[in-house]
Amino acid sequence: MTDQTAPEISNNHANAGYWTRVARDGQKMGFWFVLPTLLLLVFIVVFPLLMQLYLSFTWWTPLEGIPWYQAWEVFNWGENYWYMVTDPRFWGALWRTVLIMIVAVPAQFFLGMALAYLFIDQFPGRKLFYSIMLTPMMIVPAVVGLMFFLLFQGTGPINDHLGLPPEFSCLTDVNRAMISVIIADIWQWTPLMFLILLAGMLGVPSDQLLAARLLGGSNWQNFFKIILPRMKTVIIIALVLRAVECFKIFDLVFIMTNGGPGVQTETISVFLYNQTFGELEWAYVATMGLSILIALSILAMKGLSYMAKK
Amino acid sequence: MSSIQIQNVTKRFGDFTAVDDISIDIEEGEFVALLGPSGCGKTTTMNMIAGLEDVTEGAIRFDGQDLSRIRIQDRNIGFVFQNYAIFTHLSVYKNLSYGLEVKKVDRSEIDRRVRAMADRMSITHRLDQPASSLSVNEMQKLAIGRSAIVEPRIFLLDEPLSNLDAGFRAYMRAELKVLQHEFGQTMIYVTHDQIEAMSLADKIAIIDQGKLMQYGAPLDIYNDPQNRFVANFVGSPRMNLVDGELREERGELHLMLHGGAEIPLAGKVRADFTSDARVHSGSFGIRPQDIYFGDRRGPTDITMHGKVEVLERVGPKRLAYLQVQETMFLAFDDHAQLEVGDDVPFFLPSDASMAFDLDSGRRLGGR
Repeated sequence: MTDQTAPEISNNHANAGYWTRVARDGQKMGFWFVLPTLLLLVFIVVFPLLMQLYLSFTWWTPLEGIPWYQAWEVFNWGENYWYMVTDPRFWGALWRTVLIMIVAVPAQFFLGMALAYLFIDQFPGRKLFYSIMLTPMMIVPAVVGLMFFLLFQGTGPINDHLGLPPEFSCLTDVNRAMISVIIADIWQWTPLMFLILLAGMLGVPSDQLLAARLLGGSNWQNFFKIILPRMKTVIIIALVLRAVECFKIFDLVFIMTNGGPGVQTETISVFLYNQTFGELEWAYVATMGLSILIALSILAMKGLSYMAKK
Repeated sequence: MSSIQIQNVTKRFGDFTAVDDISIDIEEGEFVALLGPSGCGKTTTMNMIAGLEDVTEGAIRFDGQDLSRIRIQDRNIGFVFQNYAIFTHLSVYKNLSYGLEVKKVDRSEIDRRVRAMADRMSITHRLDQPASSLSVNEMQKLAIGRSAIVEPRIFLLDEPLSNLDAGFRAYMRAELKVLQHEFGQTMIYVTHDQIEAMSLADKIAIIDQGKLMQYGAPLDIYNDPQNRFVANFVGSPRMNLVDGELREERGELHLMLHGGAEIPLAGKVRADFTSDARVHSGSFGIRPQDIYFGDRRGPTDITMHGKVEVLERVGPKRLAYLQVQETMFLAFDDHAQLEVGDDVPFFLPSDASMAFDLDSGRRLGGR
């Protein structure tokens, strides 16, 4: 026994070396385990990005008659980027997307907050109303687009109600088309905002609210001093989620107006779609896609680090 | 500071009656404990006073004014929650100042009062820290300070000491008593701990299954319980309460205990049992400290024989468990003359014994 234990103790240092070696070999082995996933990731993320970057520096379109990897033959030294920066239709689409975002998301936020506040107390039929409230966000956006397309038709119920002639349609009116799209988006996505904000509001301990009331705080005071500060994280999550989603708005617009009349409701997604399948300007689409990706990434990182500091 | 009249208050939740026709008068500046086992309706009563629950029947008045139409935030009630309900997202300072800020009190006035209260509660060094960083003991102080700073008409405390460790609980008990004197506040205190109630309150309302069992000063309740429940609930160790049937034989009245033994009734307790001819089964009660050993001291004292089963040390004294057939009596062995296994006589002074009607629980006779 003693013969066996003694060397073990004295070889303590050598043992440590052994385990380091195992760990190192283990890391090597781990690498091989991870490799397939890594390759898959490279294939689905890095490769398309690089391809996009490559194409964005060429004039290549599928009509060119050469395969994409030979696009270097029509290399244009970043002229696409210059074209994009000076393309009024691109800036128009970007502005309209931002416009929908800065109108619809706050509207959804305030409506969602107000509705959530109504739902923190029990009342008869709460469960039923709750289910009804959540229905819009369960519907496929394309279907919502179709619903509102039918609602805003020249012969549709809204015109009928407002007594407008069937020749007139909100969806083809220069000023009202955008309003119609925004209304549809608010209708569909207020429930999500409501759901997230209600969850956050129910997370505020009810005894603290009671304590605040007993201390003499009015409902408004307690809302702004107790409920709202405690919901900060949830509010940030809800706003970021909706803002990002809203930036990608496509289905609603595509079905309701297809960007029309003219380009009055054309958002970035719809514009990219039209450029891709209408104009077949794939290199230009790659340029815009990449630029928006980079711009959004920078904005998101700035935003998140700002919020982390707060 | 206010007086409170609770008049025939009933609270029902659907078919369940949580509070059943309770009436309590609380005078200005009094410290009243609502005492009872869990689920007896004491917290519901408190919540009705605070306005957190509606009153199904009856009325609650502050200084004669019915509160049912006054909103919670306008009632000016200090309420200390069992888990304190500290605003953990705010600083200690902001917690203290909340009640003043919402009333739009002048900034400098707020600052003066917050600092005075923090000083009183000895949490001044914590003022600028987030309230979530406080220890449980400090949270307790903050919760009381936050309610006290608005100078409420009445103070309600819902089991405020139950989360504290034993040492701090004893300290806080004394502190609460001091605070109550300082504030001169009407205070209502909910607890299931009879020792807390006995040591703190001017008056105790004992509640069981939604009914008011007895309302009075702690010593009155202890010495003169009006029913079997109160007798059983108040006092530590508990009163000996043994049940049996009354039987008269050759002019002697015996209580034939359900455990097999019998108590020969004599003196005052005999008179108590016979005060109502309709009573056939009764409960005999005597506090452990009233039982004695050695020589019989009074002519009407009842002699029993029992076997010492267990001797338990309770502070400086020993508590003897005396078995009389199937019935157990608890008694203090003050002279330390007992041994486990001893068969000893012990004596029940008849004027310290109490008689209860077994069916209704009502006290027979009286002090």
